[in-house]
Amino acid sequence: MQASIGGRCAPSVAGKRISTRVQNPYVRPASKSCRSAAVASAQTAPEDKWLARTVKEVPTPAGLATLRAESTAALATLRMPSTRNEDYRFTDITPVLRTNVQPAPAGAAVSKELVAKHALAGAVATVVVVDGVLRLELSSGLDALPGGVYVGPASGAPPAVVEKMGSLSRSRGGPFAVLNGALAPDCLVVSVGAGRELGPVHVLHLASAAPPAGDSAPASAPRSLVHLGPLSVGELVEEFVGLGPAADAGRYLTLGVTEVLLEQQAQMKHSYVQREATGAFHFKGTLVRQAERSQYSFVEAAVGGAIARHDLTIQQAGPETVTEMGHFLLCGPSQLHDLHSRLTLDHPHGTANQLHKCIVSHATGRGVFDGNVKVNQAAQKTDAGQLSRNLLLVPLATVNVKPNLQIIADDVKCTHGCAVSDLRDEELFYFRARGISAEAARQALVSSFGAEVVQRIGHPELVKRVREDVGRTLASVELFATATQA
Amino acid sequence: MLEVKDLTAKVAATGKEILKGVNLTVRNGEVHAIMGKNGSGKSTLSKVLVGHPDYEVTGGTAVFKGKNLFELEPEERSHAGLFLSFQSPIEVPGVSNVDFLRMACNARRKSLGQAELDPLEFYAYIVPKLEMLNMDPTFLNRNVNEGFSGGEKKRNEILQLAVLEADMAILDEIDSGLDIDALRDVAKAVNQLKSEETGVLMVTHYKRLLDYIKPDFVHIMQSGEIVKTGDMGLVDQLEAGGYATLSDREDS
Ligand SMILES: Nc1ncnc2c1ncn2[C@@H]1O[C@H](COP(=O)(O)OP(=O)(O)O)[C@@H](O)[C@H]1O
Ligand SMILES: [Mg+2]
Repeated sequence: MQASIGGRCAPSVAGKRISTRVQNPYVRPASKSCRSAAVASAQTAPEDKWLARTVKEVPTPAGLATLRAESTAALATLRMPSTRNEDYRFTDITPVLRTNVQPAPAGAAVSKELVAKHALAGAVATVVVVDGVLRLELSSGLDALPGGVYVGPASGAPPAVVEKMGSLSRSRGGPFAVLNGALAPDCLVVSVGAGRELGPVHVLHLASAAPPAGDSAPASAPRSLVHLGPLSVGELVEEFVGLGPAADAGRYLTLGVTEVLLEQQAQMKHSYVQREATGAFHFKGTLVRQAERSQYSFVEAAVGGAIARHDLTIQQAGPETVTEMGHFLLCGPSQLHDLHSRLTLDHPHGTANQLHKCIVSHATGRGVFDGNVKVNQAAQKTDAGQLSRNLLLVPLATVNVKPNLQIIADDVKCTHGCAVSDLRDEELFYFRARGISAEAARQALVSSFGAEVVQRIGHPELVKRVREDVGRTLASVELFATATQA
Repeated sequence: MLEVKDLTAKVAATGKEILKGVNLTVRNGEVHAIMGKNGSGKSTLSKVLVGHPDYEVTGGTAVFKGKNLFELEPEERSHAGLFLSFQSPIEVPGVSNVDFLRMACNARRKSLGQAELDPLEFYAYIVPKLEMLNMDPTFLNRNVNEGFSGGEKKRNEILQLAVLEADMAILDEIDSGLDIDALRDVAKAVNQLKSEETGVLMVTHYKRLLDYIKPDFVHIMQSGEIVKTGDMGLVDQLEAGGYATLSDREDS
C-alpha cells in the first residue's frame, strides 16, 4: 500500500491568510546539488553574484580542509534560492541578498558579565562561540570533563570523529550549509566515547552586529559536530543570541550547521534555542543520523531574528530507533520563521513523534512549516505521529504549513493532525468558568501554547529567557486590549 | 438559591434543541440529584447554567441568588458563587495547576473585594485542601489536567471547588471513572464543603455516590425535561426497574 497523508487545515479564521499544501512530496531543486559541483575546481569564483561578493577566502584550521575544499567547489555553481524554488516558496530571502555581507572579524570583545547573563546552571561545560569562533578564555568546564569525552576545537579532537565532519551536510545540507562549509572558522567537536555519559553542554553563540541603518552586515558560520559512541548518553544545548542588548535591531547573518551522529543505542537530548537580535538573519542546518536503537530527542524554540530558517533532517539508519521533535516558533512584527524538517524512517520498529507549534502575533509576521516524515517500505511496525498547531493572533497573520506524513510501508501506526486556529474556545471557557477573565485567560493560554514545547528544554533559566522573549514580542500585540466577545 | 423555569436551549452550531423546558429549584442547604439516560441533556443543562458558548438559551429563566444568570458572563457567574465540576475536564498543557488555581482564587477574591494571595499565602491556603482530597502536593506543579487519570481529574475539579468556596456546586458525573478510594475522598470533600448556606446539584448514573452524599431531592431527566421528582425512594425504584418504570409520560 502506498499512502500519503498531507496536511489539511481548515482555514477557519476569518481575515487570516492560511495556505496549506497537500501531498506534495519534497523535490530537491537540481541547482542545489553539491555532489556534482564537488568535482569543479576550488579556484572557480561563484557564478552567483551575491555569493561572489560574500565568499572570502578564510583560513582553514586543521581538520576542516576537506570540508572547505568541497564546499568552495560546490559554491561555484550554487545559486541562492528565490521564491521560485519550491523549497523557498514562502521564504523570501531578498533582504539577505540585498545586504552586503562580510565575514565578521575575529576577536570581538565580550565581557564576562554578558556570558554570565546567559548562564546555564545545569551545564557541565559552557562553550562560548563568538562570531563562529570558539573562545576558550570565555568558556568553562572544559578542563574537568569525564574520561572518554572531548569537547573543543577540531584541532584537538579524536581524528576518527573529525573525519566525519561534513558526512551529513555534504549530501543533505542546503545552500546555507554549503556556505557555512566555505566560511566556518572552526568546528566545535563534542565526542562521547562508547558507554560514556556527558551532562549538558551549553554552547552559547554570540554574534556581532552592524548598525541597522546601513546595508552591510557581518556574517558568521558557527559549526558543530557531535558524535555519540555506542551506548553513550549526551545532551547539547545550543543558544544563539546577539552581542548587543536584548531586542537590538542590529543586522548580522548567522549561518549555523550542526551535525549529529548517534551510534547504536546512544541517547541524546538536543535543545536549539534561537534568540537572535530582532534585525538578524539566521540560517541553521541540523543534520542527524541515528544508528539502531538510538534515541534522539530534539526541542526547538525559535523566537528571535528577522528572517530565520531551520533545516532539520534526521535519518533513522537502524531498527528500533526513537525520534522526538518539539518545535515552538513565534513570529512577531516583521518576523519570518521557516522550519523545514525531514525525517526518514528506513528500518522496522521505529518510533517518531513531532509536535510543531507556531504563533503569529502580528500582521507582518509569517510562519512557514514544511514537515516531512517519510516511512519507507522497510520501516514496518513504525509508530509515527505528527501534529502541527498554529495560532494566529491577529487578522492578516500568515502561516504556510505543510505537515506531510508519507507512508510507504503498510504495517504502521500513524497519527497526523494540523490545526490553524484562534485560541481553543474550550480552553478559554474553562478559565472563564473558574472566574478568570477572558483577557487574563487569553494571556495565560497564549504563553502556555508555546510553553508546552519550551518546557521540554528543562533548564529553568533558559526556559525563563525564552519566556521573557515571548512576553516581549506578545506585549506588542494589541490583542489583549481589544474587547472580547464570547 | 437557584431557580430554573421553563428553560429551553439549543446547540448554537446546529440549532438542535436539547433542553425542552426544564424546571428546577434548589434552596439553601439542599442537595439535589439528577439522573437520566445518556443523552437526556444533563450535561447540557449543567453547561448552560454556567454559560458554555456551545449552547444558546432560547427561552425560560434562571435566577441565582436573585440575579438573572443569563445576563452574566461565565466569569461573573463564577464570581457570584456558581461552580460546575465538568464531566470531562479539558487539559491545558503549559499552564501549571498552581498558577491556574491561584488565578481563579484571586479572581474570586478580587470580585469580593478581598486582597489577592501571593504565591506563599496561596500555598498555605491550598495545602489543607489538598489534604482533604488526599492529593499529593506534586499535583500543583503539573500542568492543568495534563496526563491526569480520570480520577485525578475529578479530584482536581473538586479541589477547584474548594479553592473557589462556591455557594452552589453542580457536579456532573464526579463519580464516573473513580475507584472506591477516590469516590470516598471526593464524596467526603463535598460533604465537608456543603453547609446550610450552600446548594449542591449532582448529576449521576449510580446510586453509590448518592449513598455517600445524600440527596434531598432526586430528579429524573428524559429528552431534555425533568419528568419526575422524588426522594431516595426513586433511586431504589430505578435500580429495580430501570428508567422505563419511572416515566410519567410516553417516551416517543
Ligand atoms: N455541543 C454539542 N453539539 C452537538 N450536540 C450536542 C452538544 N452537546 C450535547 N449535544 C447533544 O445533546 C444531547 C444531550 O447531551 P448531554 O447533555 O451531554 O447528555 P447527558 O449529559 O445527559 O448524557 C445528546 O444527544 C448530545 O449528542
Ligand atoms: Mg453528561
